[in-house]
This record gives sequence, C-alpha cells and structure tokens, in this order.
Amino acid sequence: MIPSEEYMLGLVGHKFPGGNRTIDRWENYLLTDCTTSPQLEDGLAHPIALFHIPIQGVQTSIAELFDLGRVKETGSVGLDGYDWEFFKPLREEIEYRCEGEIVEVERRFTDAGKIYDRFVFSIELFDEDGEPVAKATSYWRLRRGKVER
Amino acid sequence: MNVDVGSKIPPFNIASVDTEKMKTMAALLRDPYPIHWDAEGNEKMGIKGKVVNQGPLNLSYIVNMLMNWQGQDCIRRLQVRFTGWVLGGDVLSAHGKVVSLDTTTDELLATCEIWLERDGERLLEGVAIVALTNS
Repeated sequence: MIPSEEYMLGLVGHKFPGGNRTIDRWENYLLTDCTTSPQLEDGLAHPIALFHIPIQGVQTSIAELFDLGRVKETGSVGLDGYDWEFFKPLREEIEYRCEGEIVEVERRFTDAGKIYDRFVFSIELFDEDGEPVAKATSYWRLRRGKVER
Repeated sequence: MNVDVGSKIPPFNIASVDTEKMKTMAALLRDPYPIHWDAEGNEKMGIKGKVVNQGPLNLSYIVNMLMNWQGQDCIRRLQVRFTGWVLGGDVLSAHGKVVSLDTTTDELLATCEIWLERDGERLLEGVAIVALTNS
C-alpha cells in the first residue's frame, strides 16, 4: 500500500534524536579495506565514513529510515545522490556530536506513470569543541510502483 | 605537481568488484537491504545471481583516486548522483579532470568533474572540490 502524500510530506522537519558517535580504529580499518585503499595515516578516517557515521550518530538506522519512508520491497529504494561537505578531515577516536533532520520530501511521477517519493535528509557533525566538521545530505528515491492518476 | 584547468586526474581502477567486501560493508553500515548480499533474491530485479555494490563503496573508488592525487585530507566537498548499479565482478575505473581553480581562499582549491565508469558507461558522476595540497 502506498503511503499517503500527506503522511510523506509530514516527515519534513522530522528531527532525529541526535547523539554522539566515535569512529573506532577497527571500524575504520575494515571500512578502508572494503574500499581497496591502503590504510590511512595519522588517524584519518576514510571519507566514506560520512555515510554511516552521521546516520548512526543521530541514533537512527537505515532500517528505521526505511520504516519512516514506508519502504516494503526489495528494489524499492534508489540512491539518487549525496552532497558531502568536509570542513575538517574525519578522524578515528574523536567523539562527534551528530544532529540532523529530514529536509525535503516530494511526491513525483515518472514519464511511465510510476510514483516515487524524493526523500532527503541532512546531518551535521561537530567536534568536541563544537566546531563543524562535516555535513552529509543524502537523496533517496522511494519507489511506489504504478498508479492510476 | 602542476595542476591547471583541464588537467586529468590519474584514474583509479578496480579489477573486479568483490562481493565479500559488500558483506563486510553491510555489517558496518547495519544495512538490512538484501540486494547487497542475497544474490538469489535479486531475481525479481532481473539480476539473479548478482549482488549490488553499496553506493558509498562506489563513491569510495573516486575518493581513493582523489586521495592518491592530492593527499588523504584533500577532499572538501563531493556532490554526486548515482546513475547505474555496480554489480559484483564489475571492472571499473574512476576518473576526473579539473574544470576550475579557486585562489580566493586560504588554500588553492580545484573543482573537478568526477565519474565512475564500466565499459565507458557512467554509473556515478558529479563534482569534487579538492584542496591542492600536493601542488
């Protein structure tokens, strides 16, 4: 069943609980290995940590985001894009404060008559001094199938 | 290293996308989406026997290219859109070229067109802003 447009639009402004998240050494090691890169120097974290660290840092999860977006089926989530800003490099073993919210939802139709919801959330990371470190905005496409218009 | 508008970034190549790394990645991300590890379950999407690489891993190949070029802390911004799936076993290459230089800030910044391709097909493309720490 397709969630109502009213429900989906009502998600805009939904703030995640927020919280703190540290990139552990072991975690960064495995993450970097997955990218096929050699390990980084001087405690630097691989920049792609900016996908999952913010999500987990605000005390949500990919599964919870799927639930919020009423995603039911395999193949119904598409990743449209990212906008990632780095004000400082990410590092291991630093406790980052994470805050964020759902910033945009829009119901759209494809030329083939299929409906999807554009689902955008943005999360900021701050260091222990309260200085901004990075901002991650993710653009997802929640496919709803074909409907009569 | 001299960098000018039009300079090409040395490519980063992936000989074969490793499905085992997708499983580790799924665990790290706490990603329950089965398209990354359930090859048989992907039949209804027309890719039976194949699994789909995670978006962050696709982007990581471009990140690795940029870090090899200008250092491990060179990236200031990444704006990308995903235009196709990367599947297990794919042969990929990440590419980039400088489209403008900005000398108005404390550091020299290059705006670069970036993309990831398989057999000439772009699967990810966008823009990176990179500090020219090696230049």
